[in-house]
Amino acid sequence: MKKILIIEDEEIMLDLIRRKMTNEGYEVIVARDGEEGLRLIKEGQPDLILLDLIMPKKDGFSVMAEVQKNEALKKIPIIIVSNSGQPVELSQARKLGARDWLVKTEFDPRELVEKVKNVLAELGE
Amino acid sequence: MATKEENQLSLLLDDLTALEEYIHDLFNFSPLPICFISPVGVILEVNPALEKASGFKMDEIVGEPLERVFKKEEIGPLARETIKEGSVDGKELRFFPKGGEEVAVQVFTRTRKDEKGEVVGYFLSLFDLTGIKKTEAELKRVQTALLNILEDTEEARRKAEEEKDKTQAIITNFTDALFFFDKDHRLALMNPQAEIFFKIKKEKVIGESINRLYELPELRALIEFLGEGMKEVSRKEFPLTEDFILEVSVISMKRDSVDLGDLVVLHDVSREKTIERLKTEFVSLSAHQLRTPLSAIKWSLMMILDGDLGAINKGQKDILEKTYLSNERMIALINDLLNLARIEEGKYALSLAPADIVKICQSIIDLSEEPFKNKGIKLRFNKPAKKTIQVLVDEEKLKLVIQNLLDNAFKYTFKNGRVSLSLKEIDKGVRIEVKDTGIGIVEKEQKRVFSKFFRTNEAVLVEPAGSGLGLYMAKNIIEGHGGKIGFISKVDQGTTFYFVLPTKS
Repeated sequence: MKKILIIEDEEIMLDLIRRKMTNEGYEVIVARDGEEGLRLIKEGQPDLILLDLIMPKKDGFSVMAEVQKNEALKKIPIIIVSNSGQPVELSQARKLGARDWLVKTEFDPRELVEKVKNVLAELGE
Repeated sequence: MATKEENQLSLLLDDLTALEEYIHDLFNFSPLPICFISPVGVILEVNPALEKASGFKMDEIVGEPLERVFKKEEIGPLARETIKEGSVDGKELRFFPKGGEEVAVQVFTRTRKDEKGEVVGYFLSLFDLTGIKKTEAELKRVQTALLNILEDTEEARRKAEEEKDKTQAIITNFTDALFFFDKDHRLALMNPQAEIFFKIKKEKVIGESINRLYELPELRALIEFLGEGMKEVSRKEFPLTEDFILEVSVISMKRDSVDLGDLVVLHDVSREKTIERLKTEFVSLSAHQLRTPLSAIKWSLMMILDGDLGAINKGQKDILEKTYLSNERMIALINDLLNLARIEEGKYALSLAPADIVKICQSIIDLSEEPFKNKGIKLRFNKPAKKTIQVLVDEEKLKLVIQNLLDNAFKYTFKNGRVSLSLKEIDKGVRIEVKDTGIGIVEKEQKRVFSKFFRTNEAVLVEPAGSGLGLYMAKNIIEGHGGKIGFISKVDQGTTFYFVLPTKS
């Protein structure tokens, strides 16, 4: 069973994504801020990370920047799940190794599942 | 034989005769009219000059009283003064020649006495003043004329001075900064406001050339902005510092097609810009904050509808689907606001890259085909002759524009209507046209179509949701590309929106 780490500070979104992913049959671990997220990336050995950008303590970009420094951790695919989607942010996230990007108001949970499946499938090949 | 005395007498007589002849000759020769008057004022002798001046022959005038040629009241006192004083030196009198007009003369007299000292008469000589009087009158006339001219000149000068003062006062008290560069691009004038704006004294810069002004740190940015050629500009934004923003206009001044120079007007728009920025920031922040709960609602509804949280019945599903659509409308509105705020904030600054406009249009058509088909509207893409046309554009924003025009056509065209997207290559650009057979735009509302938040009553009736921002943004984006946007529309017949973009050179 693939393990997914959700890093999201908004409780209801966290809850919704967790339910969706659980329903899809993934093992889910969650973090509510960037620091906790970084700790779980190191300790939880997730197969994929769903990362919010604007969060307390440490934002999504900082989390990615730290992950990039670690050869083992930087192989874990990251999908950004954010409320924002400005081109500058997108290109910065790509540079920091994000595999995909999803703006919450423009996508729905079903599409998130699709993206997760695609990324994991690419990796499996 | 003559005696010695007789001889002497004879010699003396000869001398005397010679002297008499000499005097007679002199008297006759003198160009000055002279006469000899008896003590009681009778003319006893006249010379030819007097005959000529008076017009009387000698035999006509000799023996006549002086009153014949003078006024009694004038000549009387003169005669008395002459007898009393022995002479009169140049008295101005009126002289009356025979049958002629009066003549102004200056009169000189001197008495003659016999060996006993008795006055035997006096000489009277005239000096004609007509010439002098005439010259004097002429001089007076000239003087008057000159004075008049001087007065006129003075009046003109005063008026000019007044005008200059007025102009000067306007320039001095003008709340905009003014610079005037002469035709050689030297700074000829600047007003106090310009000194304040640029923190520089005019004494330091007046008369200096553009190149020299560029050397000054206070004016460098402005000169750089104006450029060497000083092309005419109208209300172009020029941020002097981050919070001091000016609007610059350059007006080329000409009189009778002669180049006089360039007037540069700088208007302070900092306050307007600050308010605009604060407003934009507020909108941007609000939009971000609003998006977060809207995402939560969207995702919740979607998961319930998907059955992720257990089965729901048909009634519940219907309501939730409608709620979901309402929420989507809200999201669209917020997205528009957010885009608008970004456009106005400058965050939406265009990131231009070469792109194929044919491909861009095709991708939008591909996405739109289904909804148009579902609504029963025929959608057509009129491709250009060429397979690809390269343009230098911000693809994301350009897509927003085309999508927006197609969305409008979709919204305001009824079932069985037609919509077409046409792409045509024109001179140095491309023209894109979205034509529909929809409701059209009422003529009196047409000039407001590109205004922010504007929607026509007819549009609201057909489609209640809509932010009134789409066309405003479209105009901003197209103009940001150096393009032009416009439309033609007729109520109940349809609307054609078009825009022109310059092609990559």
